[in-house]
Amino acid sequence: MENAAIFGWALLWILFWGALGGVVTPRIYARKDLEISQASFGGAVIGAALGPLSLFPLWVATPKITNRLIGIGIALVVGLFVAAFALADPDNLCVVNGSFVVSQLTNGIVIGIIYGLMALGLTLIFSILGVVSFAHGEFYMIGGMVTYFITARWLPGVSPFIAILGSCIVTFAIGYVFERLFLRPMGSGKIERPTEYAILVTFGLAFFLQYFTQALTSAVPVKAQRFFPFPRTEIPADSGALLSMTPGNITILDAISVPNPRFTAAVLALIMLAALLWFLFRTWVGKALRAVSQDRQAAAVTGINPDTMNTLAFSLGAMLAGLSGASLVQVFSWLPQVGIPAAARSFVIVVLGGMGSLPGAFLGGLIVGLVEAAGTGCIPDATRAASYMPAYGMVILTLVLLLKPTGLFGREL
Amino acid sequence: MAKSRTLVRIALFLALLALILTACGGQTETVGEPEAEAEPAAQEEAAPAATEAPAEEDDDMTMEPIKIGALAPLSAPGAVVGGEAMRDAMLIAADELNARGGILGRPVELIIVDTEGLPERGTAVVERLINQDGVVGIGGGYHSSVGVAAKEVARDNGVPIVFAETWNDTITSVQYDEIFRIAPLSSEVSAVDVKFIQWLRDENGMKLDKVVILTENTDYGIPAAENTTALLEGAGIDSVTFSVDIGTQDFAGIIERVKAESPDLIVTLATGEASYNFTQQAADAGIGPQDVPTMCNQVSLVSDAFWENVPDGNNCFVRRIGLPVQLYNDVAQALVAEYAERTGKDDIESYAMASYDSIMLIAQAIEDSGSTDPADIIDALENIEHMGALGPITFPVNRANTPEQAGVDPKWWHQFPDPAITIVQYQVEGQAAVDTTVVYPSTYQTGDPVIVGQE
Repeated sequence: MENAAIFGWALLWILFWGALGGVVTPRIYARKDLEISQASFGGAVIGAALGPLSLFPLWVATPKITNRLIGIGIALVVGLFVAAFALADPDNLCVVNGSFVVSQLTNGIVIGIIYGLMALGLTLIFSILGVVSFAHGEFYMIGGMVTYFITARWLPGVSPFIAILGSCIVTFAIGYVFERLFLRPMGSGKIERPTEYAILVTFGLAFFLQYFTQALTSAVPVKAQRFFPFPRTEIPADSGALLSMTPGNITILDAISVPNPRFTAAVLALIMLAALLWFLFRTWVGKALRAVSQDRQAAAVTGINPDTMNTLAFSLGAMLAGLSGASLVQVFSWLPQVGIPAAARSFVIVVLGGMGSLPGAFLGGLIVGLVEAAGTGCIPDATRAASYMPAYGMVILTLVLLLKPTGLFGREL
Repeated sequence: MAKSRTLVRIALFLALLALILTACGGQTETVGEPEAEAEPAAQEEAAPAATEAPAEEDDDMTMEPIKIGALAPLSAPGAVVGGEAMRDAMLIAADELNARGGILGRPVELIIVDTEGLPERGTAVVERLINQDGVVGIGGGYHSSVGVAAKEVARDNGVPIVFAETWNDTITSVQYDEIFRIAPLSSEVSAVDVKFIQWLRDENGMKLDKVVILTENTDYGIPAAENTTALLEGAGIDSVTFSVDIGTQDFAGIIERVKAESPDLIVTLATGEASYNFTQQAADAGIGPQDVPTMCNQVSLVSDAFWENVPDGNNCFVRRIGLPVQLYNDVAQALVAEYAERTGKDDIESYAMASYDSIMLIAQAIEDSGSTDPADIIDALENIEHMGALGPITFPVNRANTPEQAGVDPKWWHQFPDPAITIVQYQVEGQAAVDTTVVYPSTYQTGDPVIVGQE
């Protein structure tokens, strides 16, 4: 980094005024008997963006801190951060190479969509059962394994859709059986300390699934072949300037390059996401699930059986993790332990988005995907950029929790 | 009804628990424990010499076994493919020893432990092997970071380890009495890599201005990348190193950066599944072995797993430790035959061969010393002349001939000096490792290199 001091001073500016805004703003709003739920977060982002230029008017005028105001503040902070980075390291690829930036952003969005899908399952389980499933990564692993075995060993040549359906059925069934046998007693009051019980029993399931799979399949990595190889195409035909496809890659406008397995995984994830949204918002059962997540007792009064919804939520959550794995088994080499980092990332995403919030989980996935892509692509030291990958999401999580302990879309307690 | 449900739940929970315990327990494998009925049959079948042994020696085979420890990464994030190959070879060694009557007339019990490729796990399992299981020597070992950590435990307890596949120079350069190595030194491997790269440029007319190195941030990867970078610089070739965590899956961001460097050659020092993930994801992004000359990691020589995980991996150059197949000695040929029968693989990986030798070396040292005292075994190892699958193995730099006296770098302490290193290339999709073309050095060359991406 050529002018590290510029970047350092900008960071210091953001941190100082952000901290000042986050601490002082809620006190001023409280003194004036105003709504303070967003005051700390809003004050922090508004302070970090323009420092005294925005903080003093905010403290004097004390307008209602809306999501729009916070959004503008976040955009300004990101703008300031990017400008400082560009001034500090003018030769960085993220500054001088637009195609590189677009490719990194695309990679971030693509992987973020899949992270989001997986985290949705975890948050669905939490919002309805109040249980954090530590076996979520293992459902992801099983989804991939089943897809691999169907496409490569049991029914070679079969449509990947059949294999994905198989993964859905298997993970849903395991989730169903497990919930009925081990989680249902929690609701009946038979378990003295249900929270600890849930942690232990899902941990037990995680170990069991991991080692049982290893015993069945060995620990040698496997990988499914590309689900849908692209046809070789160039538009226009002579240059491919608009669109160029090889079996393994798609390049758009000579700038955005996405490998085939990632592209198809993201498309599959989007389809699944649309189906899930339709199910949750357009069907009676989906509405019942949401009702239970909002108020369990009120939902029961209206004739919804909360126990049935518990089983359905856990099975669906497991299936969503399985779907993510089924989509990604053509991208990564697959092992019985492949779910461990994926689960850790899902926990980060769920907390970042707000425990139990479906939009929060999806947005959290996108944020983590984008931050990881930006960090890996832009950190000047090539020997460290990718090594820090697990830390990028944690940094964002820490910042958000400092300013908004309930996460981005979490319910106020 | 409720009662029966509870019973079902309890039964299922117990079954679950049993399976978990079985699975966790499976991380340690033992072979060769005395089995009164099975053993004489095995002796008769596999070793005619053993059947001629006096009756009292047969009785001795029911004595307390001599325990030898074995290190291998058998679960992620370790290089599981490599670990399983090493395990299979070490099991062959133990079976052979028992079939020929054991050591000093006592059966051999091989205790294989899973290091997971993690130093903290390596320390724990070596501690357990020595202080709980009571092994008299330890063989195997894949990851350098595990070797670096484990050597301290061995030193503290005075028990010898013969490392089979840990390359980090410091493992031997610290000059511990207990530590021996038959794997090559990382710095020597880097030297061969760079000589090969220079050869590509000077003898094959390949454009070679910039090399990208993908390494792992471990005790193997970092020094290996530093050595390679320094040697490349000496050869007038620029290089950029990208480092990742062991077990990294997603390389999309790094691959875009590698692409932006427009490398003339890519060297993959990352081991295990990470190397598969990187190579295939690079191929998907248009900078794979069929687009840019690529030196893939040696785990690529497990050809079945390689082609499944890296279907676009043709034209990979792979560093191969050990003599070419046509120069295998009798020990190696017998091992390859047995290994093929047990695993179905056509060729044996170099680290599997070295693992076999590491167990056999400890066995011979016990025989030579006539003792199971680790101190005596260390003395015997220093003076050993062992005909192994890797060739004649000795440790010429030792307490009687220190590095100062020998006028060599301390890294040669207790180091097998002659592991052969060749560079092979996959030149046909789906090719078995045994059929790869030896492209370097010229002494062993069986064909010309295919150099891709040259205009």
